Amino acid sequence: MMDFKELIKLVEKTGRVKIDDIKITADEIAINIPTAPPLKIPQTPAMKRGLMRSKPPEELKIEIPEVDWEVPINKYNGYIREVQLGRPKSEGGRGKVIKIGGQRALYRFEDVQPNAPVVTFDIFDMPMPGLPKNIRQYFEDVMEDPVEWAKKCVKEFNADMVTIHHISTDPKIKDTPARESAKLMEDLLQAVDVPFVIGGSGDPKKDPLVLEACAQVAEGERCLLASANLDLDYKKVADAAIKYDHNVLSWTIMDPNMAKDLNKRLISHGLDGNRIVMDPTTCSLGYGIEFSINAMTRLRLAGLKGDEMVNMPMSSGTTNAIGAREAWMVNPEWGDRTYRLPLWEITTGLTMLLSGVDIFMMLHPLSISIVKEFGKLLTSKPKYMETNTDNYQWIRA
Amino acid sequence: MAKISAMDIYKLLPKTNCKKCGESSCMAFATKLQNKKATVEECPILKAPKFEENRKKLVELLSPPVKEVWFGYPDKKAILGGEEVMYRYELTFFNPTAIGIDISDNLPEEDIKNRAKFVEDFVFERTGEKLKLDFIALRNASGDPEKFKKAVDIIQKNTKMPIALCSLNVESIERALDTIKSKPMIYAATEDNFSKMLNMLISKKNNKREFALILSSNNIKTLKGMVKASLEQGIEDLILDPYTKPENISDTLDKFVMIRRSAIEKGDKLLGYPILGLPINTYMYVLNGNNPIKQFIEELDKAAGMMEARTANAMLNRYVDAIILHGTEAWELMPILTLRQAIYTDPRKPQTVEPGLYPIGNPDENSPVIMTTNFSLTFYTVTGDFEKDGVTCWLLSMDTEGKAVDVAVAGGQYCGDNAKNLLEETGVRDKVNHRIIILPGLAAPARGDIEEKTGWTCVVGTRDSSQVGEFLRKNWDRILSEWKNNNN
Repeated sequence: MMDFKELIKLVEKTGRVKIDDIKITADEIAINIPTAPPLKIPQTPAMKRGLMRSKPPEELKIEIPEVDWEVPINKYNGYIREVQLGRPKSEGGRGKVIKIGGQRALYRFEDVQPNAPVVTFDIFDMPMPGLPKNIRQYFEDVMEDPVEWAKKCVKEFNADMVTIHHISTDPKIKDTPARESAKLMEDLLQAVDVPFVIGGSGDPKKDPLVLEACAQVAEGERCLLASANLDLDYKKVADAAIKYDHNVLSWTIMDPNMAKDLNKRLISHGLDGNRIVMDPTTCSLGYGIEFSINAMTRLRLAGLKGDEMVNMPMSSGTTNAIGAREAWMVNPEWGDRTYRLPLWEITTGLTMLLSGVDIFMMLHPLSISIVKEFGKLLTSKPKYMETNTDNYQWIRA
Repeated sequence: MAKISAMDIYKLLPKTNCKKCGESSCMAFATKLQNKKATVEECPILKAPKFEENRKKLVELLSPPVKEVWFGYPDKKAILGGEEVMYRYELTFFNPTAIGIDISDNLPEEDIKNRAKFVEDFVFERTGEKLKLDFIALRNASGDPEKFKKAVDIIQKNTKMPIALCSLNVESIERALDTIKSKPMIYAATEDNFSKMLNMLISKKNNKREFALILSSNNIKTLKGMVKASLEQGIEDLILDPYTKPENISDTLDKFVMIRRSAIEKGDKLLGYPILGLPINTYMYVLNGNNPIKQFIEELDKAAGMMEARTANAMLNRYVDAIILHGTEAWELMPILTLRQAIYTDPRKPQTVEPGLYPIGNPDENSPVIMTTNFSLTFYTVTGDFEKDGVTCWLLSMDTEGKAVDVAVAGGQYCGDNAKNLLEETGVRDKVNHRIIILPGLAAPARGDIEEKTGWTCVVGTRDSSQVGEFLRKNWDRILSEWKNNNN
């Protein structure tokens, strides 16, 4: 038998007590054992945290640990072909030369992007019906005269290139004869020194004739003939490019396999692969742009992987965006069209730019300036520019 | 990292083909799991203790390389991340980028309330889908914890929007956390406040406070270290902010790509978190007088809105999971919301409606026949406009393989042969007493071919479906009677 008081004293003194062979007989017992000081055992982090809960949190210094990380650079077995537009004066050309493509990697942090994307200004051989007011305001004074129009693009808006669309050659519009288009082409070539994209009206029978006639008067100027596609006599367009030293826009509808097929046909017909630019079709923002994103991305990746039938630079008819109702329609609920229209074209252009496109056909001078500037940034050398803005300034602004 | 195969998943399933998940076999269920069309919980057998090991392995195997993080209310939340692939064509992107609008706690109460309600109510409807904003980024412009807390109260009293608490001041975040009712996203733990912020958050977490935390650094390696330290402290709902540099946005975009590629292609778990972008930095930069488009737009706030949208849209093309904007004009938000809708459309789902004949209103034998495509975007735009304008007609939806009118005309799907088949299959000739088809303005080049192949008279209508109502009111009776005079 043992007195409980004595047992407690013992616990207080020693911190522990071991009782062997104990027998307790009682109806009800209540044992109050005062807390013994804790045993010293090595503490795990879990217990530390447990203690913090009961005590006021004592600030523990949390360090940011050093970790390993490497910039994720991928290897590419292929490359994108470099296509030259225009001919330098030294070779008897008119002056300006533009090169597109030539990439050996997807991103500038993987490898230098040799050429900045290019924007070419759309102009038309007759006043374009249905051109929205906030584009017309820039060109109203020159729309009757494509030569003046081209000059304005170059002088006022610093155009790198100009695309002449010979829309009046359409038999359903004015049926302008091919030789007249060629005459206009000559005047255009004399008026400005930038390279040209030469476009028809979209009429499959007439276009090859118009392109051929224009190619002839522009011999050696390395224009881009727009376009060769599976609906027309693409061989005739290729022949014009071969004979008169130009490039060909190979246009298909959002299907990478179709693009490959057409390129193959053009090459087997004798056209140099380095004279081809692909247009896999740009659907406007809100009207299927996601299909274009997929088509462009797949073509670019296949090219960089080494598929020599699709490793050409790509072109986008970004102007399509202006046809979207959200761009041109006057609707107070949608806000001011002055900003909405160019933004629709900009968003379409930027999306195509970030999907791999190298050359853009566009209309609104503001859209052009933003897309061009963005293209320059994307192809600049990493860290070429000091950035001093405070990332957190917006919180206190 | 190689994508997991259905076979890898199948190996871990019970292989009993019990059909309790609703699928015909375990292999079918495995395929659904692989495509994220089902969840592990739907298999009741896996819940048995003997499958515990397999269930855990499966959850691990199926957890996306980019962690899914949410904030807001359980029934109204913003979900970020959860992504599996680098390119949408490979599978799909899952959680659309959450779009937040900032509110300054320096504003008067009424203004805070109004701006918050604006964010909650903003909607832009496209093709049958309501495009909306996702959260409010409340910023501690005052620097005062008390004002910050009050602003939280105003917002949560008047709206049910998820809130991002934005302040580098730990006391402000702490005060706000004590009052906020939803799970907030916190901006931000930085290199400077890291230890202090985490200590505070650890104690809140121990008191059962839930939150998602944004880690912010210009250096990806540092960000990765911050993730490691946070995980060690049990803070796991993380978002990464590698800085948005308005002067050179390509630096920022590069970092986004590096982070996402590290997570998805290199299997770096510590970088497998959603990414935050700050187009608002571009806005403020331009507003401070750095206007690169002053040749075209002189008003600084308009130029700022344009440039902010340009940054936002570029980021949408480069993996951003959440963005904070300042501009709220419809012309700025529309392209951003539309691009987000496009990028996050599931490419595995056909973008088409069933080709055929759709009566709109209550058409009779004198009603016009109008022919559009079976591209769902086009189709829903057209039917939406017709409904709004009370147009009554027989609407034909041609199988253009899901292409829009202009693309289908160019691609040769919107053509005479397809039109002929459509007319025959739908039997529309028995529904009307005329042979006239109204074509969309953009289909004008296909008119000759369609007339030749079908023998019907084609009338080229308006460029946009919103103008069809007026066009018909002005012209249909005349077109119909002229046709009848010529053909009787």
